[in-house]
Amino acid sequence: MTAAIAGIGATEFSKDSGRSELRLAVEAIRAALDDAGLRPADVSGLCTFTMDNNSEIAVARELGIGELTFLTRIGYGGGAACAVVQQAVLAVDAGIADVVVCYRALNERSGRRFGQAYVSPDPDSGWHVPMGLATPAAQVAMVARRYMHEHGATGDDFGRVSVAMRRHAATNPHAWFHGRPITLDDHRASRWIAEPLRLLDCCQESDGAVAVVVTSLERARDLACPPAVIAAAAQGSGPGQFVMTSYYRSSTATLPEIGVVARQLWQRSGFRPADVRTAILYDHFTPYVLMQLEELGFCGPGEARHLIAGGGIEIDGRLPVNPHGGQLGEAYIHGMNGIAEAVRQVRGTAVNQVPGDGPVLVTAGTGVPTSGLVLTPNL
Amino acid sequence: MILETAERLRAAGETPAAAGRDPVNLPMIRNWLEAMGDANPVYERTGTAPPAMIQVWTMRGLTPPTSTDPLQVMSNLCDEEGFVAVVATDSSQTYHRHLRVGEEITVRSRLESVIGPKRTSLGEGWFITTVTTWHVGDEKVAEMTFRILRYRPAAGSPPPTAEPFEPVITADNAFFWEGVAAGELRLQRCGECGVLRHPPGPACPACGSFKQEHAIAAGTGTVHSYVVHHHPPVPGRRAPFTVALVDLPEGVRMVAEHRGPRPEIGDPVRVDLDGDLPIWRPDVPALEPWTLDVTPTLIVSTALATRDFQNVHHDRDSAVRLGGKDIFLNILTTTGLVQRFVTDRLGFSRKIKSIRIRLGTPCHAYDTLVFTGQVFGDRVDVIGRTANGVHVTGSVVVAS
Repeated sequence: MTAAIAGIGATEFSKDSGRSELRLAVEAIRAALDDAGLRPADVSGLCTFTMDNNSEIAVARELGIGELTFLTRIGYGGGAACAVVQQAVLAVDAGIADVVVCYRALNERSGRRFGQAYVSPDPDSGWHVPMGLATPAAQVAMVARRYMHEHGATGDDFGRVSVAMRRHAATNPHAWFHGRPITLDDHRASRWIAEPLRLLDCCQESDGAVAVVVTSLERARDLACPPAVIAAAAQGSGPGQFVMTSYYRSSTATLPEIGVVARQLWQRSGFRPADVRTAILYDHFTPYVLMQLEELGFCGPGEARHLIAGGGIEIDGRLPVNPHGGQLGEAYIHGMNGIAEAVRQVRGTAVNQVPGDGPVLVTAGTGVPTSGLVLTPNL
Repeated sequence: MILETAERLRAAGETPAAAGRDPVNLPMIRNWLEAMGDANPVYERTGTAPPAMIQVWTMRGLTPPTSTDPLQVMSNLCDEEGFVAVVATDSSQTYHRHLRVGEEITVRSRLESVIGPKRTSLGEGWFITTVTTWHVGDEKVAEMTFRILRYRPAAGSPPPTAEPFEPVITADNAFFWEGVAAGELRLQRCGECGVLRHPPGPACPACGSFKQEHAIAAGTGTVHSYVVHHHPPVPGRRAPFTVALVDLPEGVRMVAEHRGPRPEIGDPVRVDLDGDLPIWRPDVPALEPWTLDVTPTLIVSTALATRDFQNVHHDRDSAVRLGGKDIFLNILTTTGLVQRFVTDRLGFSRKIKSIRIRLGTPCHAYDTLVFTGQVFGDRVDVIGRTANGVHVTGSVVVAS
C-alpha cells in the first residue's frame, strides 16, 4: 500500500441537522479538504455508499470540482465504510485518480430512520421482513440469542459494551452523548427493543456527514497534516451471506465475513491482533462488538465477554475500543466517523488519545458484507 | 373530567359489597347452558354452576338502579363525553371454587386504571380496567380483571389499519408461496443432485443445475433461535410478538412468526399454514377444532342468558348505528364458549380453574367461529377465529 488518508472532515452530529443531505456532504468534504490543505480542484475521484442519497456529480457541482476520473459506490449499508477507502486506495495505486474523497452524508434521524420497520423489494428480505423480522435490531437479536445460548454470554456482557462507549463519549465534545455516561444498571433498566436487545444495546440514529481524503503517501507527506498510512484495506463476504440475516449457514453465532476481512488485514499489514493500539469496531449493536473481537483474533470464540469484563475495552483497558464513543456514543454516520477517529488516533490528536504509535484497526458494518482498515503513522 | 373522576374512584378503592339479584339457581344455569349449547351434564348432576357464569350472577340487569360501581360510573361519564360505544377487550377470571345452587354471592369492585384517550381501529376511546371479587359470606370464591374500551365511533369507515408487509414473490420462489396457499410447506430440491435448500434460488449451489423441484417438508422443527419484538411498531402486528428461526429435520432453516407461549431454543414446533404466511406453533397436543355458526339467535339468547342487556347484542339497528355491521357476541358468552370448548374436548368433569381471554375482531351474526386449542400440561391455549380475523385468544387453566 502506498496510499494514505490526508484529510478528515465532518459536520456536527445531531438529531435534526436542519439542512439537506447534499449540503451536509459538501460541508464535510470542504472540511476534509481544508484539513488536508487541498482545493476542490485537486479532487479527481469521489466514492460513497450505494445508500447515500447524494450523487457524486451533484457533490462535484456544489464543490466546484470540475472534472472527475473516478466515480464509484459500495453496497451493503455500513459494510461499505472501509471499502470506500479501499476503492480510493485502488484508484490511487492504479493511477486512475490522484486525490479521492470518500463521503457519507445522511439525515438518518430527521429523515428516513433506519431503525424503523422497512421492507425492500429484494427477494432476500422477503424471507424475513414479512415474517415480522422487520428491523435491524430484530435481525441482530436472532444472532445475539444464539450467541448467548452457545457461549453463555448475558445481557450484562452486552451492557458492558454500551457502558464503555458511553464512558468514552462522555469526554468527547463532538459526541451526541457528551457528558452523559451510563451505568450497567441504566442498561438493565432500558426498555426492550427486540429481546435479547435493549434500547441501550442499539446505536443512535443521527444526522451528519463525514468525509476523508485519500491520496498517495508520497503526496500526503507534503500536505497539511501528518498522513495516516493505509497499511491494509480489505473487503469481505462470507459463505451463505445475507444482509443482516445470514441464518442459513452452519453456525449462526459467528461473523465469518469479519474473519475474511481480518485474515487479509493481518496478512497484508504484517501486524497481529496483539500489536493493535486501539480498535474502532462497528458498534451498531453491542453483541456484534463481542463477536468481532473473536473473529478478529483478539480472543477465542465465545471468550469476548472475558476480554470485555473489568473495563477491558475501555480507554485504560487491555484493548481500548472506540475511544470516540463509537456509534453508540458519538454518532451513527454509517461507520465513517470511526475512520475519522482512527486518523486522529494515528495523528495523536484524539480527545481520548490512546498513547503509542502502534497500528489502529477499523471495521465496518457487521452482519453484512463488510470491510476493514489498518492505519499507521508515517514513521 | 374523565381522568379526574378516574383518580377519585381509584383513590376510593373497593366498593362496598353488593348482593347478586338471585342466589345461584338451577333455572338460570339451565337457561345459560341451553343458550351456550353446552351439554355438560356435570353441573346439573352436582348442583354447581358453570364457572364461566360467575359474572352473570351479579350483572345489573336491564334497568339497573344507580350504582357506585366504578365501571358503571366511568361508563356513564364516557357516554356523556361522547364515547358512547363499548367493547370489552380483556377478561381474566380465576375461580377459587365452583359455586353451588342456593349460595348467595356478593360482588365488590375497584377501578384499576383508565387510560386514554387512545386512537384505536374503532375510534378514539378510553380503556377502563376494573378488578372484581366475588364472595360467599367471607369466603372469596372468584376474582376477575376486566377491561373495556369506551369509544367514539369513527366517522364513516374506520381508518385503514396498516397492512402487514407482503412476501417478495419471484419466479424462483413462487412455488413456496403456492405451497403455503395449498397448505404445504415446500422446500426447494435440486432436480439433479437432490440437495434441499432454503431460501430457494434459481441455481443449485452444490451442482450448478437450474433444474429445480420441490419436496414437501414434514412441517416440524426445533427452535434454533428466536426474537421477541417490542419496538418499533411493525405494520399489521401487535407487539410484543415472537419470530423464530427453526431447524427443520430436512436440514434447512426457516424464519416465521412463532405463536404460543414464549419458546426456548430447542423446543419442538410445527408449522401452521392456515394464513398467508407460515407460522410456527409449539408442537404440543392439539384439541380437535370446533366450528360454530354464530346465528342471531345464538347472540341474542346468550346475551340474555348472561343478563347482558346492552343493545348491541340484541338490536341490529342499534349495533349498526354504533358503527358495527350487525349484533355481536358479548364477552361473557365468548368466555362461556371457550369454557365449553375446553370441557367438551378434555372431558365434562375436568375442573376449570381460570379463564383469561382477550378479544380481537368482534364476532357478528352470521360469522362462522372456529375454535382451536393446544394443550400445555394443565393449561389450554384457545384461539377463536372468524373469516375477519382472530375473535378471541385465551388461556384456560384446568385442575390436573
